[in-house]
Order: sequence, then structure tokens, then C-alpha cells
Amino acid sequence: MNVAHIDELEAVELPDGFTWRPVRRHFGIKAFGVNAYTPGPGGRIVEEHTERRYEHEEIYLVLRGRVCFTVDGDEHELGQGQLVFVRDPQLKRGAVALTDDAAVLAIGGRPGQAHRISSWEYEFLAIPHLRAGRYDEAKRHLHEALDAFPGQASVLYNLACVEALAGESDAALEHLNDAVSNDDELRRAAQDDEDFVSIRDDPRFPS
Amino acid sequence: MSDGYEILTLDEVQTAEHRGSNLIPVRYTLGYRAAGVNGWIADAGGQLIPPHEEDSGNEELYVVVRGRASFEVGDETQDAPAGTLVFVPPLVHRTATAHEDGTILFVVGATVGEAFDGGGWDTFAIAFSLQQAGDMDACRALMQKEMEKRPEMWALPYNAACLESLAGNADEAFAMLARARELAPADEIAEYLREDSDLDNLRNDPRFQELLP
Repeated sequence: MNVAHIDELEAVELPDGFTWRPVRRHFGIKAFGVNAYTPGPGGRIVEEHTERRYEHEEIYLVLRGRVCFTVDGDEHELGQGQLVFVRDPQLKRGAVALTDDAAVLAIGGRPGQAHRISSWEYEFLAIPHLRAGRYDEAKRHLHEALDAFPGQASVLYNLACVEALAGESDAALEHLNDAVSNDDELRRAAQDDEDFVSIRDDPRFPS
Repeated sequence: MSDGYEILTLDEVQTAEHRGSNLIPVRYTLGYRAAGVNGWIADAGGQLIPPHEEDSGNEELYVVVRGRASFEVGDETQDAPAGTLVFVPPLVHRTATAHEDGTILFVVGATVGEAFDGGGWDTFAIAFSLQQAGDMDACRALMQKEMEKRPEMWALPYNAACLESLAGNADEAFAMLARARELAPADEIAEYLREDSDLDNLRNDPRFQELLP
């Protein structure tokens, strides 16, 4: 039987302070998006974000412990068997665990569209390698993402981060310019991103 | 709270009886559109998942939210405390039984490569529960709303006919069967008409014979 307890799933610790439990990837699910999260050292359990990029409807179901969700500025403390359904992709949502044992299941997808594996799954796999200086590993995940999502801005941006940190200035500048060409949010983020210290003074750095 | 989100407590949702199990109709209650999402609740010894196989391409993930369950998938069994996830591919027989009172399963399902098209069996389960409870006004209102949303789907007037038949309303049942027959492929609906026990109340009516090819 294809079975796993949530505590047996791989624990990918993200620098934003939460731990991703890659459910979809573990089981090889192709029909829908599903993942789980447990708290990182600071207690965050769901990163603060919107779904503007993917236009996903999302459900967050508390499997264990107590969790404080913030959705559109409102706080809701939820326990086991309670869920929040965020219909509007524009709304900012995030959560912190109120107990160490907290676990949240997340289901997401774009209405009217067959499920596609989201590029952020590859990015989440790459980021811990990037932070640990394992640049080849990080690049491997991001190139896999680009194979699946050619031209995806956030992937190109993260690839530029890795290359800048690895001292590969030409590749970093090329990928960063591709990333921001149609994405003003990333263009603004690049101005203060410490990963780009080594290339910021280059005349090719996007303004 | 904005209209853009809502909070739901699984054990506070009105359940619907479905093939010997208690459905928590999450998808219907929330209006979730991206995948099939529902819950099942049972006390110790009670059936959680109605025994079934899914069609080709349909993947399902079951998650034990509370309590403890025992899964039977294919010819394997598995004890599953809260926090257990069980993935079942299509065409494999599955069922689950509760081992503690108030055990809740959450299930996510969809078809590989296809946009989710909700509003099928789970809607019917709610409608049949309303009919069983004698609330035909609410039952009709629900079916009417679904038929307005999906006027091409013959299963909706067909199931509305079954509900009217079970409630003993022959005229309303025949009106719905006429509508279903206009929409459905003739041989497909004929098979249901011949075999569906929900329509037994109508079989001795001359109008029933007219519906058969």
C-alpha cells in the first residue's frame, strides 16, 4: 500500500522559516496539487504569499496542533479538523504554528485547468541547496524546472541568484534580465536582493 | 471576513449518507473548483469509505485527520492513526473503517490530465439525504440549482426523477425523465431505466413503457 505518516515525509527546511513536506512529490500524484507543512524554528508554518502568479484556489487543513492563519489581514486560530479556503488568489495568506506539533495539509489548483506540477516545487527543492552553498545541486533543480516551465520568471530569478553567488556573472545577468523583462515585482525585488551583490554594479544589471 | 475566503470546521458540516458512509460534503459546501475534496466521518466500527474502485485516471489521496482508521486497498490492510496519508491509484479496490469514535478522513481526488469538473456524486448524495429526510423543497431547490449550472448534463434530471420517484411524486418524476431522455444517448439511459430500483414506483405506470426504446 502506498502509505506514509506525515512525520515520515521528507522535511525540506525553507529559509523563510517553515518546513515543506512534499506530499505530491512523495506519492507521484499527477492529478492535483497537495502538500503539507510543519513549523520551522521560528514557528512559521505557511509562508506569507498570494496566489497571483498561479491563480490557485487553496485549502489549508489543520491536521494537528493549533495554527494562527492570517488571511487578508484577519487572524484566525484553528485546530485539528478546521480549514481555511482561500478562494481569491489576490488575498495575502500565511500562518504560524501555536504548538510545536502543528501540521497543515495544503490543497491547491487552478479552476478549469488540468493540474500541472507547480514550478515552486522545484524552487523549494533548490533553495536549501542555494543557502547551503551547494550551487550545482540548486542549479540542477532549477534547470529541471526550466525544462518543465520554459521562461518561468521566478525560476530564472532563482537561477540568477545561484549563479551570482557562484561567481558566474555573465549567466546570472542574462537570466536575471530574462526574469525581470515581464515581471515588475521581481525587478523591484532584485534591487535589494543580497544574492546580487556581486553583479549589482555591472552596467547590465536591470534598473 | 472578506468574501475571498472562509473557515470550515469539518465536524460541524451537515453530513449526507452515501452508500453506508457519512459524507462531509466539503467541495459542495465551499464551492471548491480545482479538485474533488470531501470528508468522511464514523464512530468505531463504522464504515468510512464506501467500498469502490475509481475509473482509469482518477487518483485519490486519503488523509486521517482525527482518530484512527483501518484501510483495505487491493488485498492489503493498513492500520492508520491520525496524520497517515494513503494514496490509491485508479482501478484499485479501496475501503476504510473507523477504529475510534469521531474518526475523520479527508480525501482529495481528480483525474490526471483533465480539468476538474465537480458537482456529480457528492451533490447527488446530499440531494438523496434531503429526500430521505423528507425535505423535498430543499432537495428540489438543490437539483434545480445544479441543472441551471449544467443544463447539458442528463444525469441531473435523471437523478431528480429518481428522487421524485422515491418520494412518490410520479408526475414530477416523469417530467424529469422526459428531460433526461432528451439529453441522454438513447441506449445509455435505457440501461438505467431498465435496472434502476429508484424508479420501481413508476414501472407500472403506462408512461414508463413509453420511455423505453
